[in-house]
Amino acid sequence: MYINWALQQINLKIVYYGPGVSGKTTNLLYIHSKVAPELKGELVSLQTQEDRTIFFDFLQLEVGKIKGKKPKFNLYTVPGQVYYAYSRKVILNGVDGVVFVADSQFDRLEANLETLNDLENNLKQDGHKMDEFPWVIQYNKRDLPNVAPIPYLQLKLNKYNVPYFEAVANKGIGVFETLKAVINLVVANVRKKL
Amino acid sequence: MPKKIDGSKITILSSEQYEAVKKCLGELYSKTKANAVLFADIAGQLIGERGDTSHINTTVLAALAAADFSATAEMAKLVGEEARFKLLFHEGEKNNVYLTNVGDEYFLIIIFQSNVALGMVRVYTKKAVEALDKIIKEGGSSKTVTDIIDDDFGELLANELDSSFKE
Ligand SMILES: Nc1nc2c(ncn2[C@@H]2O[C@H](COP(=O)(O)OP(=O)(O)OP(=O)(O)O)[C@@H](O)[C@H]2O)c(=O)[nH]1
Ligand SMILES: [Mg+2]
Repeated sequence: MYINWALQQINLKIVYYGPGVSGKTTNLLYIHSKVAPELKGELVSLQTQEDRTIFFDFLQLEVGKIKGKKPKFNLYTVPGQVYYAYSRKVILNGVDGVVFVADSQFDRLEANLETLNDLENNLKQDGHKMDEFPWVIQYNKRDLPNVAPIPYLQLKLNKYNVPYFEAVANKGIGVFETLKAVINLVVANVRKKL
Repeated sequence: MPKKIDGSKITILSSEQYEAVKKCLGELYSKTKANAVLFADIAGQLIGERGDTSHINTTVLAALAAADFSATAEMAKLVGEEARFKLLFHEGEKNNVYLTNVGDEYFLIIIFQSNVALGMVRVYTKKAVEALDKIIKEGGSSKTVTDIIDDDFGELLANELDSSFKE
């Protein structure tokens, strides 16, 4: 979190993390398509020709002033594919909150677990603890036929009992709900820890 | 200046620091004859800029440069380099981009035309780096995060998010 007192600016960095093709970039695409032009910047995507994220996506959002203060949110996604581990670590630099976008399909459970483990290791290296750090889980792709039931996913993935949301990111279902939750959590966390 | 509160690392730049940063960037800009100079943190957040940036998306540039810089630092580690690479140089046909770290948490971006002498850019940048490092380390803000994120901020923000971010 970076605060510029003179400009009354508050900058937060939110990172969308998760296994390959879980829908991280789709979240940002949807947000970008819906937010009013004056509140959003350019969506930058560093991706392969097959639309896989190669380094990150970036989107800056703003909301109206709050008692003269100007909050800005810098949203990033990481590449989910296993061999981009270093890129994920790099993008986590200075992160304030994380959305873990899980793929709800049964056959993606291992991939979810692996990436969650990778997130935990990376955060740990930066001195964060998963049980105190502000993060939420989004169970995405709820529209697909072969998805695992939520209680099962909760049992497997949510051992820290963080807030979770069901989503169909390409239809926008659950996308804003998830974003708002992680931002609110970051702010609440700052006050809680004082 | 960076203070750790569990999750977030919170950096508060005081008004005095911001003024000093702007002054320093202004000097660097005019002395190097650069097109633009930017100062950002390693999380990719733009802190200050100076010069002709009207046609540059500086927010995006800071985000890209931070990732570039961090990636290079990881590269340094992979090849067994103890210290991080201290600078990055992108040479183009018309423009050059020069990146250099300011302490562990910040960096400078200097954009200049390819006919500007690199030696001169180097000399003045080195001075600016020292000055900025001092400003950041010494001019600590007396303000705390609760001065800006006060009691009702969370609730007001939640309302604002609701009205701005909806389907
Ligand atoms: N059916 C369905 N498809 C989805 C959903 N969310 C995303 N997709 C699709 O899944 C594919 C991959 O989505 P991306 O957002 O690119 O995935 P990613 O997580 O960014 O993947 P990497 O960049 O490789 O890490 C795209 O074709 C999306 O349209 C969803 O909720 N349901
Ligand atoms: Mg992606």
